[in-house]
Amino acid sequence: MAELQGLGAALSEAERAGVEILAVSPDPNERSQKLADGLRLRYRFLSDRDLAVARRYGLVHPRGGPNGEDVPRPATVVVDRDGVVRWVSVSNNFQVRPDPAEVLRAVRAL
Amino acid sequence: MTSTWLVILSLAIALGAPVTYALLLRMPLVRNHPEGYVVAFAVAAVLAGLAVARARTRRWPSWAALALTSLLLIGGAWFNWVGAQVPRTPTALRVGERAPDFTLADAAGRSASLADYRGQKPVVLIFYRGYW
Repeated sequence: MAELQGLGAALSEAERAGVEILAVSPDPNERSQKLADGLRLRYRFLSDRDLAVARRYGLVHPRGGPNGEDVPRPATVVVDRDGVVRWVSVSNNFQVRPDPAEVLRAVRAL
Repeated sequence: MTSTWLVILSLAIALGAPVTYALLLRMPLVRNHPEGYVVAFAVAAVLAGLAVARARTRRWPSWAALALTSLLLIGGAWFNWVGAQVPRTPTALRVGERAPDFTLADAAGRSASLADYRGQKPVVLIFYRGYW
């Protein structure tokens, strides 16, 4: 939830600028999507159940979950119109996220 | 300051810090400085230590405060600098290179590919742990 709120305050402005925000987690995401829709955040929540995409991106924290399961490393990636990576932030402490203002700056710099 | 007031101040800081952190989590300044609550626990433990030193009669409240704040300090420091750390292994992401394509189902069951957006609009991908 905290995660969602953090993103929420952050990226609605980017959204208006014509950016697609894809939130990827192992959750089925129905609740997240409802919450986001309720807040009119217009994120698209994608379910990466088996972490296949996190693995392809090198973003797996092995046995990092509360029950010793693999979890994604919190990360934000800005991809431009041509599908090229323009900005990456990978957190080394799962409490920490990129400053939304920094993400916005990266998006505006495209 | 009397021992009693030092105990009260110590406990107020020790218990107020995590509450404040939780309430202000939306602010990047707070969220991205989790060591702030560890510092608060350290200040609280020092105040409790002072309370112990100043206690004349009835020493147990100051000792109890010292025990509690020390536990919070150790627990908080462990969580922030050990428990919450993510291994710094290299990722597959290089700025200037193409992002690996993928296809996943969204909450409504429709499939979404990164490639769908190519030539359309930029994408911000947010990977998150999901259960909180």
